[in-house]
Amino acid sequence: MSEPRSLSSASMIRLVAAREISARLRDKNFIISSVVILVLLIGTLALQVALDSGGETTRVGVVGEAGDLRPALTAQGEALGVDVTVTRHADEAAARRAVEDGDVDGAVLAAGEAPRLLVEDESGGSLQAVVQGAVAQLALAEQLAAAGITDLDVPEVEVTALDPDADQEGQRVVAAIIGAGLLYGLLILFGQFIAQGVVEEKASRVVELLLATMKPWQLLAGKILGLGVLGLAQIVVVAVVGVAGAIAFDVVDIPGELVGTAVSVVLWFVLAYAFYAAIFAVAASLVSRQEDLGTVLMPTTLVLVAAFVVGIQAAADPDGALARVTSLVPGLSPLVMPVRQAAGEVAAWEVGLAVVLMLVAVALIVRLGGRIYAGALLRTGGKVTMREALKAERG
Amino acid sequence: MLEFDGLHKSFGGNRVLDGVGFTVAPGSMFGFCGSNGAGKTTAMRIAMGLVRADAGEVRWRGSVLDQGLRRRIGYMPEERGLYPKMKVGEQVAYFARLHGLDGAAASSAADEWVERLGLAARRGDPVEKLSLGNQQRVQLAAALVSRPEVLILDEPFSGLDPIGVDSLAEALLGQARAGVPVIFSSHQLDLVERLCDSVGILARGRMVATGSVEELRRRGAGRLLRVVVPDAAPHWATTVPGVRVVSEQAGDTVLELVDGGDDQAVLAAALRTGRVTHFAWQQPTLVELFREAVAVPTPQEVAA
Repeated sequence: MSEPRSLSSASMIRLVAAREISARLRDKNFIISSVVILVLLIGTLALQVALDSGGETTRVGVVGEAGDLRPALTAQGEALGVDVTVTRHADEAAARRAVEDGDVDGAVLAAGEAPRLLVEDESGGSLQAVVQGAVAQLALAEQLAAAGITDLDVPEVEVTALDPDADQEGQRVVAAIIGAGLLYGLLILFGQFIAQGVVEEKASRVVELLLATMKPWQLLAGKILGLGVLGLAQIVVVAVVGVAGAIAFDVVDIPGELVGTAVSVVLWFVLAYAFYAAIFAVAASLVSRQEDLGTVLMPTTLVLVAAFVVGIQAAADPDGALARVTSLVPGLSPLVMPVRQAAGEVAAWEVGLAVVLMLVAVALIVRLGGRIYAGALLRTGGKVTMREALKAERG
Repeated sequence: MLEFDGLHKSFGGNRVLDGVGFTVAPGSMFGFCGSNGAGKTTAMRIAMGLVRADAGEVRWRGSVLDQGLRRRIGYMPEERGLYPKMKVGEQVAYFARLHGLDGAAASSAADEWVERLGLAARRGDPVEKLSLGNQQRVQLAAALVSRPEVLILDEPFSGLDPIGVDSLAEALLGQARAGVPVIFSSHQLDLVERLCDSVGILARGRMVATGSVEELRRRGAGRLLRVVVPDAAPHWATTVPGVRVVSEQAGDTVLELVDGGDDQAVLAAALRTGRVTHFAWQQPTLVELFREAVAVPTPQEVAA
């Protein structure tokens, strides 16, 4: 056996963090909550895909070469906003079979004088419109050609969009709201984990043994970092799965923007986590029983709920006074700023200021909270007030 | 030497320690006695850095204890504490690592101690599934696993059955024989008397007595002599000068010799009454010494 060596603060913190991680990874609640989050996310994507399926492909069968009919069908589909795939069949019987088997939605028979559209039961509105349009166009072109007019000059309509980004912006906002919701959920979840961990150590009195080997701030830092690594891993996994899924299922048109929003949500998570984890840990250190946790965590939880509500509101009114102010307030900013960034124009200085204010707040909380935590840890029994804890720490 | 030197501590207006000091030599076992609330736990917590002393310090080999030195101390708090859901083996290894062992050394030391304390079969069970006695053993393993240079144990024997007491006593004696100074507090004074090389009695915030049990006996105020004289008439001893009769029952007499009292004169007087079946100085038990020390305020401080 090798001789014990002295431990630096960093290795002490690493030991605590490693224990937190391994304890959590074996905790059923943690595993279940992780799975639930992923299932929810994939469910949301699937729902989105289902809702988007208005632009479903229409499959049309044609017989033989069909000449100009195929390009005409495709062009008509484009004009009507319907994806059209055209399948060729050798003869009418083959086309009929394809319709019966559901391989195609409908088949156009005997193009020319008396075209017929063959369908299974009834033709969908878009299918009939596409075929009707294509046939009409072809007939018109033929008759014009017969009349000797070949070079018809039809003026093309020029489209000027007043808000070309509206659709993309909508997608960004949805992504940001989902991100804020995720942030909110994970903060509550990991805040609870931290709080329960602190109380578990206090309730089981193991904290006395721990503090005989390390300083309270090392214990606090190790717990926050250990769970933070897990939280970060979880939000990164969710972000990657979400973004990859959205791109793969073609839910979004602008992968780049989506990635940007996801990255900003992840970065805000880091700041928000440091802030709330410290507060939750310090609050939890004031009580000695899991049953008493609810009361001490309630105020902070309410702040989180308020931040989430304001964040949702910011999506509708990103430049309103409420959104502007709250996107700078530490604690609220992580849930409001990403939504504002996605929904509208935010000056770089505003983001910078929000981050700096948040960092200052985190530093203050860790400093003051660390002292409360140190003073409260060894006082078991009823609820310790913050004043008592600070006094005990000094004593 | 492990030295507790002039510890003072008040909680609010309540003065708990008022100049507590004693020393424990390497390889010796020190029994820390005192009434409930006398301040034993506070003194130990000060040594472990869990409570800050208002004045005074604790030194090991001449240096004041700091975080690094404290990692060399095996500690068992009065309120037992372990992670309830953590497995026995992993838990002991975790505490070994917190005390500075590296990963491999920690797990082999943990295995060794779990084995030695008879918990090998429970190594993979969470602590909360163990009986209280076995949890206590895990607690001891957590204190011993890092091969500490010093052991400070707060009420290590409380809640143990007689067999548990014996095996813990054996483990502690083994540590002391290996040169580790061991301090433990206990209300089981017979145990302290049996195990400890020296004893300290804490009362009203001060050490009212320290030394070996033998020294305490010699120092004990008023030595008692038991004389059994079956044939003697009642009050046979009242005439011997310098003697006070403490109790007398059918010839079984307990006498206290006061100033100038001579035990040989007592023997002569006893022989004059007839047969003497018993004549010996009565050894006060530690319980009696303790009662005496705690009851009578002794102004002089027995400090190191």
